[in-house]
Amino acid sequence: MSIFSPDVARDFPGEGTLDKRKSRMGILFILPWIIGLVAFTILPMGASLILSLTDYNLNTPTEINFIGLDNYVNFFQDPIVGVSLGATLKFAVISLPLAIFLPVLLAALLNSEFLAGKRLFRLLFYVPYMVPVVSSAYIWSGTLNTETGWVNRLLESIGIAGPNWMYSIDWIYPALVLIGLWGIGNAMLITLSGMQGVPTELYEAARVDGASYLRRFRHITLPMISPVIFYNLVLSVIGLFRYFETPFILKGPTGDPGNSTLFFNIHLYKEAFTFKNMGYGATLAWMLFLMAFTVTIFLFTTSKYWVYYSSGDKD
Amino acid sequence: MNKKLMRLGFGGFALAAALAVGPVVAQEPVTVTWFVGLGAGGQPEQIEAQNAVVEAFNASQSDIVLEIQIVDNEVAYDTLSTLIASGAAGGGQAPDIIGPVGNDGSNAFAGNYLDLTPIIESTGYDLSQFDPAAVESFRQVDGALVGLPFATFPSFLYFRPGLFDEAGLNYPPQEYGAPYVMPDGTEVEWNMETLREVGMMLTVDANGNDATMEEFDPEAVEQWGFVSQWNEPRGHSTLFGASSVVDENGDAQLPQAWTDAFNWFYNGIWEDHFIPNAAQGGSDLLAAGNAFSSGRVAMGATHLWYTCCVGETNDWDIAALPSHNGVVTAKLHGDSFRILNSTDAPEAAFEVLTYLIGEASPTLLAVYGGMPVNEADQPAFFAGLDERFTQGVNWDVAVASLAFADSPNHEYSMPNYLKAKDRIGAFQTLYESTPGLDIDAELALLVSDLQSIFDEVDG
Repeated sequence: MSIFSPDVARDFPGEGTLDKRKSRMGILFILPWIIGLVAFTILPMGASLILSLTDYNLNTPTEINFIGLDNYVNFFQDPIVGVSLGATLKFAVISLPLAIFLPVLLAALLNSEFLAGKRLFRLLFYVPYMVPVVSSAYIWSGTLNTETGWVNRLLESIGIAGPNWMYSIDWIYPALVLIGLWGIGNAMLITLSGMQGVPTELYEAARVDGASYLRRFRHITLPMISPVIFYNLVLSVIGLFRYFETPFILKGPTGDPGNSTLFFNIHLYKEAFTFKNMGYGATLAWMLFLMAFTVTIFLFTTSKYWVYYSSGDKD
Repeated sequence: MNKKLMRLGFGGFALAAALAVGPVVAQEPVTVTWFVGLGAGGQPEQIEAQNAVVEAFNASQSDIVLEIQIVDNEVAYDTLSTLIASGAAGGGQAPDIIGPVGNDGSNAFAGNYLDLTPIIESTGYDLSQFDPAAVESFRQVDGALVGLPFATFPSFLYFRPGLFDEAGLNYPPQEYGAPYVMPDGTEVEWNMETLREVGMMLTVDANGNDATMEEFDPEAVEQWGFVSQWNEPRGHSTLFGASSVVDENGDAQLPQAWTDAFNWFYNGIWEDHFIPNAAQGGSDLLAAGNAFSSGRVAMGATHLWYTCCVGETNDWDIAALPSHNGVVTAKLHGDSFRILNSTDAPEAAFEVLTYLIGEASPTLLAVYGGMPVNEADQPAFFAGLDERFTQGVNWDVAVASLAFADSPNHEYSMPNYLKAKDRIGAFQTLYESTPGLDIDAELALLVSDLQSIFDEVDG
């Protein structure tokens, strides 16, 4: 009989009891988290799924009816869904490339051996990330005001008429992107730590072979930090789907100007909390989840073609 | 041991007696909850006064316990919706009384109010103390009386004498029907056209040119002539006459007077430049949204409640609103308290309601800034305002404005109210922030969209 056979436990009866006791203790220790997960995540999700199958409206709470998939059918017929997804997409086209490449460029800059005062610059780039989003939105709202904001005053001083950042459908997205870049410090820091983890012998070998800085960056740095770029990409895409705070603080649920800030989450908020249409609001939330889930799965599927794991682990 | 047994025996007997007799001899007081937050009531001095009113009521009797729940205005609508829904679901958390709240806030919860008529009849409550028209303004289309008069907020024209003096202009008239005296001494009707002319003369750019001059630079305005302060489009257009976007059949409409009004406002912003646009209104130059308080706007049409926020300087007085086509319309806001139809104690809630609009009203009105509906209480109210605003405001204008109240009220309910109001709000942002619009086409689109929104609930 092999010592690896299942009969071992029978031969050493104390082992099984100890395992069970350890297992019970383990469950006991994680029980608070499990209770929290069930009470504050699983149950509300289940409730919202059920709500999405009803016409529940907070203005008429007693008149709740089961309407099957009507809300989901309505989702595909709701013209505002197209508008809000369009707004999210337009914003993504400008913000996503910047959210991915700017941290890489900044990290490369801050990782450069030729830059003096690296620590100070790292701090300066990271500190804005610590400013609460509410404060930064209000600060930027004042900064970008056409009448009194210093950005336009600065532009005027060099003879350029500043745009109407907050009230023009052409300029509101650049304004929001600018506000978003204010908090880029976190992504920059993660990318920087990825760069600092690249083995130096790779660069030394490349140097010996006569590779220029750009070639080293292209063929060593980028592949080696591709897991970090992938991580930033996934977070940015999810962030785009849940983009809410800044446009809501600046414009409320109005979608002004001209529905350009009516992002998908703002539409969801408006349906659920302005119009009190909880049933349809829950449907929008579930559709948002499905869309974000699908895109994330897509990103993970494509990652095997461009993300390099030095350990060979792609899971 | 015997003593212990005796003690236990007496104790048990006493407990049994208390359990058996208690419910019979000691009637539990009824708890009435008062929800504050939909309108006024959130400022520190208001909270203090409201708490004092609650304490005084609870001390005055033992049948009802009045509890107050004060919620910030930003979240009050969501909170009340949730409370009503939880009450309907059996949670029993919905308040009994809400207020103070105006028409606009009330519309958001239409269908949730108790008809007071049966209780008024059974208690013999005296309605003759109120102006009958004021009482009727709380009656719904189905005949239900859902509120009683409490506070009114007439509208009028705030103006800054200092800016008029600086421009060498006469002040706007402080009597309805009186003409405006132009700088050359000619008397003209005080109407919307005159307001436009005067407004342009009071609009000044960085070089000191006013908006009537060719040299005027609209990109560098530093002082404006007029603002319709903190009003939504239905409030703006009511200066041109009382109406509604809902016709007698429940369909969307836009009366000609309101079409005129929106053209007037649009041109005032983008062609004549005497009304600030959205970007200007939101700038620090105009106190980030509280334009008249900045001291850079000469005239502001708004309500009595604006005394809350008119600013530090006392360089202001009030004047008559101008007419349009010979008719003056001074839109009216009115706040009151309402009982929710989910209440378990309608009689007790009604007793509290009559206390709030009766005995407690002087205390509450003083902090809410609402004019008492009873004429006898008005002098004391204005005396209180005079203590705050020592420049000598002509409050007779406020009282006189009541005679020109809008009917139908500009906050008249609409089908699918929240969505309809949201669409109207989007139109306001559009015309206040976009030059070069075909405003008539936008108005046609507005009416068409409103009809679709109305149809959502009709269908």
